[in-house]
Amino acid sequence: MTNVAEEVTRLERGIRRWPLRRLAAAAGLALCGLWIAACGGKSSSSASGASSASSSTTSSSAAATPSNAIRIGILSDCAGDFGAWYNADIGGAQAYFIAHNGAKPNGPVPSNGITGGTIAGHPIKIVGYGCADDTAAKALSEVRRLVEADKAQIVIGPLSGDEGIAVANYSKTQPGLTFINGTSGAQDTTLKVRSPNFYRFNGDGAQWSAGVGDVAYRKLGWRHAVVIMDDYAFGWTSAAGFIADFCADGGTVTRIYPPLGTTDYSSYISQIPQKFDGLFSAVGGTGTLDFLKQYTQSRGAFKKNTLAGNIFLGDPAVLAAVHAADVGALVGQPTNEDTSSANAAAYISALKQAYPAPTTSLPKPGTLAGLASSVFTVNYYMAAWALDKALTAVHGDLSNGQAALHAALAKTTLPDAPYGPVTLDQNRQAIVDNYIADVTTTGGTPGIHTIYTVPGVTQAFGGTFTPTTPSPGRGQPVCQKRALPWQGKEQSISVH
Amino acid sequence: MSATVTRGRAGLRTGMTWPVLIGWGVLVAVAVVLLLAPQIFSAYDLSQILTQALWLGIAAVSVTFLYRYGGMVSLAQVAIYGIAGFAMGNVVHTINSEGGLNLGWTPWAGVAFGIAVAVIVALLFGAIASRSYGIYFLMITLALSLLVFYFFGQVTKLSGFGGIRSISRPGFIGDPITDPKPLYYTALGASVLVYVLLRYVVRTPFGIALQGIRDDPPRMRSLGYNVPLHRTLAFALGAFVASIAGILSVWFNTQISPGSINLAQTIAVLIIAVIGGLSRLEGAWLGALAYALIDYYARQHTPTLGLWLNPGRFATIIGLVFLLIVLLSPDGLIGIGHRLRDLAGRRLGTPPTSDTAAAREEQALPETAGVSTASGPSSSGGQEP
Repeated sequence: MTNVAEEVTRLERGIRRWPLRRLAAAAGLALCGLWIAACGGKSSSSASGASSASSSTTSSSAAATPSNAIRIGILSDCAGDFGAWYNADIGGAQAYFIAHNGAKPNGPVPSNGITGGTIAGHPIKIVGYGCADDTAAKALSEVRRLVEADKAQIVIGPLSGDEGIAVANYSKTQPGLTFINGTSGAQDTTLKVRSPNFYRFNGDGAQWSAGVGDVAYRKLGWRHAVVIMDDYAFGWTSAAGFIADFCADGGTVTRIYPPLGTTDYSSYISQIPQKFDGLFSAVGGTGTLDFLKQYTQSRGAFKKNTLAGNIFLGDPAVLAAVHAADVGALVGQPTNEDTSSANAAAYISALKQAYPAPTTSLPKPGTLAGLASSVFTVNYYMAAWALDKALTAVHGDLSNGQAALHAALAKTTLPDAPYGPVTLDQNRQAIVDNYIADVTTTGGTPGIHTIYTVPGVTQAFGGTFTPTTPSPGRGQPVCQKRALPWQGKEQSISVH
Repeated sequence: MSATVTRGRAGLRTGMTWPVLIGWGVLVAVAVVLLLAPQIFSAYDLSQILTQALWLGIAAVSVTFLYRYGGMVSLAQVAIYGIAGFAMGNVVHTINSEGGLNLGWTPWAGVAFGIAVAVIVALLFGAIASRSYGIYFLMITLALSLLVFYFFGQVTKLSGFGGIRSISRPGFIGDPITDPKPLYYTALGASVLVYVLLRYVVRTPFGIALQGIRDDPPRMRSLGYNVPLHRTLAFALGAFVASIAGILSVWFNTQISPGSINLAQTIAVLIIAVIGGLSRLEGAWLGALAYALIDYYARQHTPTLGLWLNPGRFATIIGLVFLLIVLLSPDGLIGIGHRLRDLAGRRLGTPPTSDTAAAREEQALPETAGVSTASGPSSSGGQEP
């Protein structure tokens, strides 16, 4: 019993000592709070330039938001498989406003925001950045924050396939607002959902693969291909483009679908048959490198002309980090970074002008201009461009549920787009040029050598995909012979 | 709320004291604010903060209930609400047939089916898990959580990565995006019902036996109680509560995908329960409100905190808040209320009542058992001299 009593006394003493520690902790908390409040205040004023009334007192250049401001929200991913490209997305859209609308960057990192700038005399106001993580759930909650809390009138985004489907569905509940896709590339977003106020000025995953299967069959002699694809809407759409092409010529495929976000691909690599003519990789984001590394570790380097891939295999950030595994691969993408066209040069100089300094907030090579041919940068840039063009055409008129802007956007074309002209079809989906390139090394640095172009690729793929055909999936489209407009007609490009 | 109820009873014994009156005042004020919320707050706050806090609170209260009265730290609650949501999403009508089986059932049949499936799965799973305690119970429920996540991610017939979209809702809820009021009141009503149900259950012989099992399973077994059965039934009751949160979450989001029930969400619900305070059921809603507010303001303001902090670091902020709360008030936000009340009592010259001592005793449980330590509730009992 005495032991118990002693124990109790000791405990009580301990408890009495506590308030001191708590006081210290409370003081620490108060300090943290002050510091966060200070930073928060600073950030909100610098982020949004023309900021809300509460923080506008500290804002240097722009005071309260003018009533005629055009309120734009930019929705991207800051987490998940594509989180690394967060600032490439924001930078792409804002670089356009900086280069063509007189906006000024608030710092070397795009998410620092922009100040000033007008479209048709109306000040540009970036109300916020959506920070999703490639899931539909987060994209939905972030787009709702931008629209319902930050009162965005126009949303540029999202980034990823299933996010696009969710946001396009959401846009139907906000018929008086405008949604311009960032770079998400699922087919359903425009072909099935067909929201009247959702516009996509970039191709979908299948369009970005157009011609790759045909070239692999005819030029590389593939007859049986392994297709490894992320198990979600974009991975399926991207692979669907290759499969439609390759099977149209008579090829056969084995499909493997690891979940998006896989880091250990060994069990999927073991599913790859020992004998195949070629492998098409539709593994994206951080998965591309993991898959390539793990494949070469377990099976050895790819033999010449046996690897092909989608946009991710040719993305500058992946090329900058890639080792020899990628070299010699055939890549389908809507950008040809080795072009010497004036349109591309103007675009790249706009990026350099807007964000000249390298920053660690961007993936390698670390500058926005270095990521120019990344679909993340260029598609957000083109979204801003289309918005500027349409808004200018209607003199910034957002009245009447933005009816004038909606009509203008549907008719907007980008004939001078950096990597080939862009027009919209009746579902407000872009018709784009696609490119087929080799991954090369020039002086040790991997690069892109474009060899073919497929002009004017439509989402319908020559009637392969319609609103009533099954959505791309693990087993869709079925592998069968069909006629495609570009079969055997890819145009050779002689550059350099 | 229950703090004031307990306190109120003490008040009847000892005469009305200031803290009691303040407690009642707070309760009435909270009730008025909750009822008039649609008039007070913007549509966005009502939907994304309050409604979200209410359904997250229901999910978290199932964690609190299992821990506080059953001594079980369950990481399976999110998986279970996911099962309810996916089960409902598959059988009801989805516009444009976007994912799932789309069997075209009515929304209410879907609700019943979703809850039933979740409870049945929980009964089966509880039968397996109920024989393990402490960290082992936690690990086995974590396994269920991941199993469910990967199941729905992989089985594209039932869900797939993109999940099920445009799930139809009962007519009176309408479209929660354009008019959040009906869903808010539904979530509020469900929260009150769940709270009353759980308060009732813990006072029944079943609830008392459950608490006995929490404190000393061997002794209860020797008294003739079927310990695994009690724990299984408690787990199923927790699943019933969680499945209500699942149904509400689907109506709230209009869709469900594996991304809604991933590991991050599993941990979020545990954090909500701990932030709010595991000593009292109402702490769950308090924690959920804090979580929803931090979520909103962190996303709103982190994008420009320089290079070292980007909006992807929301978890860092919630983690810091979690640390501070656990450090300052181990029994969560609800514990701060107790402290203030004690403080107010001392200031106003009210001697610490037996009730205060009782409250301390209640708080003592989570502190001694410890959520993060391996010493499960089984070891916290049976230590008398």
